[in-house]
Amino acid sequence: MRPHWLLALLPGAALAAESIDFNRQILPILSDACFRCHGPDEGSREARLRLDQREGLFRTRHDITVVAPGRPEASELVLRVTSTEADEVMPPPKAVRQLTAAEIDLLRRWVASGAPWNRHWSFEPPVRPAVPAVAASTTAARNPIDAFVLARLHREGLSLSPEAAPATLLRRVSLDLTGLPPTPADVDAFLADSAPDRYERAVDRLLASPRYGERWAWDWLDLARYADTSGYQGDPERTMWPWRDWVVQALNANLPYDQFTIAQLAGDLLPEATREQRIASGFHRNNMFNGEGGRIAEETRVENVFDRVETTATVWMGLTFACARCHDHKYDPISLTDYYSLFDVFNQMSETGAAGAGGGRGGQVAPLLDLTTDEERAAVKRANAELEAFARDVDAFERRKFPRPEGRPLAESPAAQRLPGNLLVTHVRTAPARRGIDGLLEALPYFQETDPDPEYAALLQRQIDLVRARDAANAAITRVMVMDELPDKRDTFVLQKGNYESRTSVQVFGAVPAIFQRPGADTPPSARPAGADGGTISRPRLHRLDLARWLVSAENPLGARVTANRAWQAFLGTGLVKTPEDFGAQGERPSHPELLDWLATTFVEGGWNLKALHRLIVTSATYRQSSRVTPDLRERDPENRLLARGPRHRLPSWMLRDQALAVSGLLVDRLGGYPVKPYQPAGIWEEATFRKKAYVQDHGDALYRRSLYVFWRRIAGPTTFFDAGSRQVCTVKVPRTNTPLHALVTLNDPAFVEAARVMAQRVLAEAPAGDSAQLTYAFRLATARPPSPAEAAILAERLRRLRDQFAAAPEAARQLAAAGEAPRPADLSPIEHAAWTSLCSLLLNLDEVLSRE
Amino acid sequence: MPPFQESSALFTRRQFFGRSALGLGTAALATLLGREAGAATGPSRRFGGLPALPHFAPRAKRVIYLYQNGAPSHVDLFDHKPKLRELHGVQIPDSVVGGRRFSTMTGGQTARPLLGAIANFSRHGRCGAWVSDFLPRTAEIVDDLCFIKSMHTEAVNHAPAITFFLTGSEMAGRPSLGAWLSYGLGSETDNLPAFVVMTSRDKEESCGQIFYDFYWGSGFLPTKYQGVAFRGRGDPVLYLSNPAGLSREVRRGLLDDLAQLNEIKRDDFGDPEITTRIAQYEMAYRMQASVPELTDLSRESETTLAMYGPEVRRQGTYAYNCLMARRLAERGVRFIQVMHAGWDQHRNLNSQLRIQCQDTDAPSAALVRDLKQRGLLDDTLVIWGGEFGRTPFLQGKIEEVKQWGRDHHPYVFSLWMAGGGVRPGLTHGASDEFGFKPIEGKVHVHDFQATILHLLGVDHERLTYKFQGRNFRLTDVHGQVVREVLA
Repeated sequence: MRPHWLLALLPGAALAAESIDFNRQILPILSDACFRCHGPDEGSREARLRLDQREGLFRTRHDITVVAPGRPEASELVLRVTSTEADEVMPPPKAVRQLTAAEIDLLRRWVASGAPWNRHWSFEPPVRPAVPAVAASTTAARNPIDAFVLARLHREGLSLSPEAAPATLLRRVSLDLTGLPPTPADVDAFLADSAPDRYERAVDRLLASPRYGERWAWDWLDLARYADTSGYQGDPERTMWPWRDWVVQALNANLPYDQFTIAQLAGDLLPEATREQRIASGFHRNNMFNGEGGRIAEETRVENVFDRVETTATVWMGLTFACARCHDHKYDPISLTDYYSLFDVFNQMSETGAAGAGGGRGGQVAPLLDLTTDEERAAVKRANAELEAFARDVDAFERRKFPRPEGRPLAESPAAQRLPGNLLVTHVRTAPARRGIDGLLEALPYFQETDPDPEYAALLQRQIDLVRARDAANAAITRVMVMDELPDKRDTFVLQKGNYESRTSVQVFGAVPAIFQRPGADTPPSARPAGADGGTISRPRLHRLDLARWLVSAENPLGARVTANRAWQAFLGTGLVKTPEDFGAQGERPSHPELLDWLATTFVEGGWNLKALHRLIVTSATYRQSSRVTPDLRERDPENRLLARGPRHRLPSWMLRDQALAVSGLLVDRLGGYPVKPYQPAGIWEEATFRKKAYVQDHGDALYRRSLYVFWRRIAGPTTFFDAGSRQVCTVKVPRTNTPLHALVTLNDPAFVEAARVMAQRVLAEAPAGDSAQLTYAFRLATARPPSPAEAAILAERLRRLRDQFAAAPEAARQLAAAGEAPRPADLSPIEHAAWTSLCSLLLNLDEVLSRE
Repeated sequence: MPPFQESSALFTRRQFFGRSALGLGTAALATLLGREAGAATGPSRRFGGLPALPHFAPRAKRVIYLYQNGAPSHVDLFDHKPKLRELHGVQIPDSVVGGRRFSTMTGGQTARPLLGAIANFSRHGRCGAWVSDFLPRTAEIVDDLCFIKSMHTEAVNHAPAITFFLTGSEMAGRPSLGAWLSYGLGSETDNLPAFVVMTSRDKEESCGQIFYDFYWGSGFLPTKYQGVAFRGRGDPVLYLSNPAGLSREVRRGLLDDLAQLNEIKRDDFGDPEITTRIAQYEMAYRMQASVPELTDLSRESETTLAMYGPEVRRQGTYAYNCLMARRLAERGVRFIQVMHAGWDQHRNLNSQLRIQCQDTDAPSAALVRDLKQRGLLDDTLVIWGGEFGRTPFLQGKIEEVKQWGRDHHPYVFSLWMAGGGVRPGLTHGASDEFGFKPIEGKVHVHDFQATILHLLGVDHERLTYKFQGRNFRLTDVHGQVVREVLA
């Protein structure tokens, strides 16, 4: 699949002069071409030959040696891969994966050179590498990151690009750290600052901004599969936003990542857990929940545990556990037993798989944490009492208005039976104290207009007010889903093919994967088959809190690496390991292995300090490079894996919306709280849910909150976002594609049209008079830099033509100038306003504005 | 290497622009709006796709999949079993059932009396295929159809079974058939998406099944390959219309300048992604014309419209979607997935099945006829079928005739294909005398998927994508092409 010209750029390739690196050059070939039948999976192993372990690879049996170091001619592996006999050659002719001539040659040379062997790189703990000495003549390096990058670039005869233009750099780092562009004032201050550390101070200002936590929470919500509904049929609502707010606060407070981890995986189990720690434990309540009618609860429960195991493995180990649900992993040393040992850890929550056990919102499932304050609870009590008392007055009145035998319900009154339609149900057959708002709102106009009774109508009006007050008080009651632990543990058995009904007799106990267990460490052996008598072997069992601690301990070789890699991916566009979801044998090798380990160890030694990690990356010369690229370099390194230039890529769609709100001045920067429902085309929820859920758009400030707070319905996510995580399963890398549908969003979505319209108002209000100054201001708002003369000329001409076009179509101008719900100044000419709105829309769609450059 | 991720699309982009440079900038409007419908079906231009594909000469260039969600009852529609009427009300022999599991709805039911077909069957056409009298229009075209009456699947509930059919896995998250094909083969149009989905449901809304977007998802393939769901009301494509007050003429001018400004940036920064961006904005502009043109039925003859039935003008109906499928096929769309829900007759077989057939029979048949009369059937593969069949025995009580129903039945069921390289007039495979399990020519879902890919010139074992360290494919590690159905 991979074009050959690219091979030359891959790490480790074309280095014939150097010794062969088993991990980077040989293991990937063995894994890809051989492990399927000669790997960790016992079930599919052929000829009892196992090549993923040293013993198997160097084994001699019946005088046949698989690999004889230094002697290719005596090595069965070499003979097999070079054989021309159909029944002898490996891989067999029918296998989809065949070896290339270059790979066969490499295998032979590896054996000839003594066949050095070591374990897969990511299973060895990171060792802090020495920072390479970069030639003294190189002044480009700003911190050790650059030394690693330059060492590699120098080998290729390349160097770093010059630093990006100051305004471009400020916009880049502002978007990366806070998800928002700098204001023109920010840019002016930055440009006017002549101190040598102006950039570092700007970075510190951004890191301290509350917007930082909001920006980084997004990525965390994607991997935590956060949503405001459960998914599946019915897609009922749930309350998880207090957990989301905890994440924002923790990131802003720079809670060390090890504590951040422990709180989310096991905050409920910490000694004297605080309210915040218990909220944090909701991380593993964010999974989807299938409460469809006819579902077997246990099936749902087991599925949820699967999800928790696999999400944990992806986020903290970068390993793909899902395969091991049904069989030993084909490529990585993760066995069925390893999988179910982790399953046991997450198998101990009180969740039963039955839906609706939480009361309140339909999607809430116990265990829940009640966040209501005493005051709020008292308010509910008061509102209920007041309503009940008043309902007795209504009842008394109705006894006179609708006569019926003493002690009989209203429905038996002939006068009441004459009421029309819905009122028969909502009013006549419902006792006054139980009437809901909808029915009352229908009854009121009937007794005001159709069959007027002013006294009764006044009572109903008062009751409506009281019901509304009661509903408002109830709405303040907030319960959030959290984790808990059963006092009596569930037994965990390996399931056959992951089927909840098919228990095998193999009982397992909480443990970390065997590959990571260290002899002598107090990690318990994970499992023993049930004894012949069917009895089980009691052993110490890894607890959820133990697991959380282990994941962020030195014993997990992957925890810091995967975290550093995700940060790198966020800033540089691609991870040092391009497959953040897979650090296993089939994942990509790191492009800069020493740099990855240096970052990981520095991160840990600095106390798992995320802000420090981010600061380290964005203050490197590597990050600060211009993203300008020459055709030659583009040809050599199209994916920029060597990092000889700065990253340039389209912003995530959620950030595009935030940017448009910020640039127009519409953004409401209130932190946290209940999710909001901004503009969305009519009928999206209705179509997806067969009209069971109606989207009721919010108004006012709610339209202009950050994307992070937009209500996320799992089966029909917000339509403004594209290339976004599905929020259905853990996502650590979102795709970045380029399609016409995306263009339609930023051109026509009312959120973007309104932003352009209000941006036009802002330009006309804030910039000095005159097209030239106003165009420059608008351009700076969007890009952080002034337009070049050529750009200014194009825009000035466009503005002139737009004025002509709208002058000829005043009605169209009035329509466009009224886009959205935000107010507009009445004295602004619609023609001028429409022309500027169109121009601002053009600016918001510039590739430069859609990208971080 | 995933060839279309933004950062790595260099090679492909170069090919793309080699072919379509004329489509950029101000020249776009004139050249593209002037293109006649149907022109794209000639020996073709191709946009995107893998260089190595097709693996061999394709028999079909595009697919229209008429997906019947809910599982149509094979024993009432196509799989004629006189035995069921003969033994109506008699318990199905245990030897036949053999301990197989059913959904929770009849899993606990001990009485399983056989239920005769609720409609009469007759033979039709030169091929003499049996078809229910509920489907008179389909009966008229049997000589163009190829029936498979020995389908079987693994899933017993709707969503997993549909997901299995369309993505090869019961769990959501794998790329769907249409995504695989647009990834592998690209498209024959740059005016419309390569993969379009349209949904409809029975008028009574008798079943509550949701059309999950993973039925047309791209899974781990880049999202540009996911199906674009045309909506059943308003703009078929989200955000297609310019905002009120912004005319197409104004838009054109803005896009011209946008392209100019972006070109300045590209020449300065050398990022080829900018070239793609310009092209995608132009395609968006073209879609703003091509989609309304697509849905403008004013040039369809009354005869054609009549063939699809009275609902054909109503957006969001099955009839409308079938007509739209033909129009999309004419315009070079690779994969058209029409999904119609409402075949889940657990308790309303006697009343609802007839209505369901009335709503879908004429449009399905009209689509095949219409494609044929336009010469499009030869290279368009049409598929009609659901996710499984229904039990030959009764769900409910035999004395409660109005509530008769049939439960889910994954063990055997029927579907039909037409056009695009399948043998017309053929019936492949057969079920036993009860319509309970296949006895001849068994076709598993993976076999069926392998066959579809084969008809499009794709070797199902060689269309793969590396994700999480593994080369994934539509058919997992299974699937045999059903050679018997190939023309």
